[in-house]
Amino acid sequence: MDLVELTNDPISVESVARRVVPPECGATVTLDGYVRRFTSGRETLYLVYEAYKPMALKEMRKLVEQAKRDFEVSAVGIVHRLGRLEIGETSVVISVAAPHRGAAFAACEWLIRELKRTVPIWKKEIYADGEMWVEGESAG
Amino acid sequence: MVELYSFGRFCKNISVSGDGKIKIKVLFFGATADAAGARFIDLETPPGTPAGSMLDRLLGLYPRMSEHKLLYSVNEEYAQGTERLNDGDEMAVFTAVSGG
Repeated sequence: MDLVELTNDPISVESVARRVVPPECGATVTLDGYVRRFTSGRETLYLVYEAYKPMALKEMRKLVEQAKRDFEVSAVGIVHRLGRLEIGETSVVISVAAPHRGAAFAACEWLIRELKRTVPIWKKEIYADGEMWVEGESAG
Repeated sequence: MVELYSFGRFCKNISVSGDGKIKIKVLFFGATADAAGARFIDLETPPGTPAGSMLDRLLGLYPRMSEHKLLYSVNEEYAQGTERLNDGDEMAVFTAVSGG
């Protein structure tokens, strides 16, 4: 039921969300993260994501297991895109199915926060006048 | 290089070089790959070298990496520095992650 993937192809948000629909659940909360055009007033042309794939998949699976331990949720899907992404394209989808929606909202927020802190994926912002690998906060 | 590495990995508990050193592979991503000018390197080191000592050696090889806040892993798990390296181990050195 759970789903953890890295892909170079465009992500179908609906297909991730609808693959995570266990019979005991009544709600799936889905985050559709996509490429922002303006960050702090600076215009991005496109993004390039790269990952340490086997470790990223391991860390994503750990997040799924911990979310299911710590929240009242039944199934989790996480799919992250890699390679070049244009403005508005989906970079990450996180779907959380739960018997009741409250736990799904909380788990989804926790999952994206942890993913951005621990999963070894990096993004490079390409601007009209340069490019830069974005460095996150910390894996603490 | 890749073939040698594969051999070392296959013979995990056997010393593969005459002087008793082990071979490890170090991967770089994003900003650290730019700083190293490579996606990976193969290195020899005495058995049981702590991962933190290996990181210090890498910073000596690639001083530009010191400009970044770095994280590192041994065999796909985040490392603290005290992990002892074995033949065929895979380290990775990278900046704080920025997915999502």
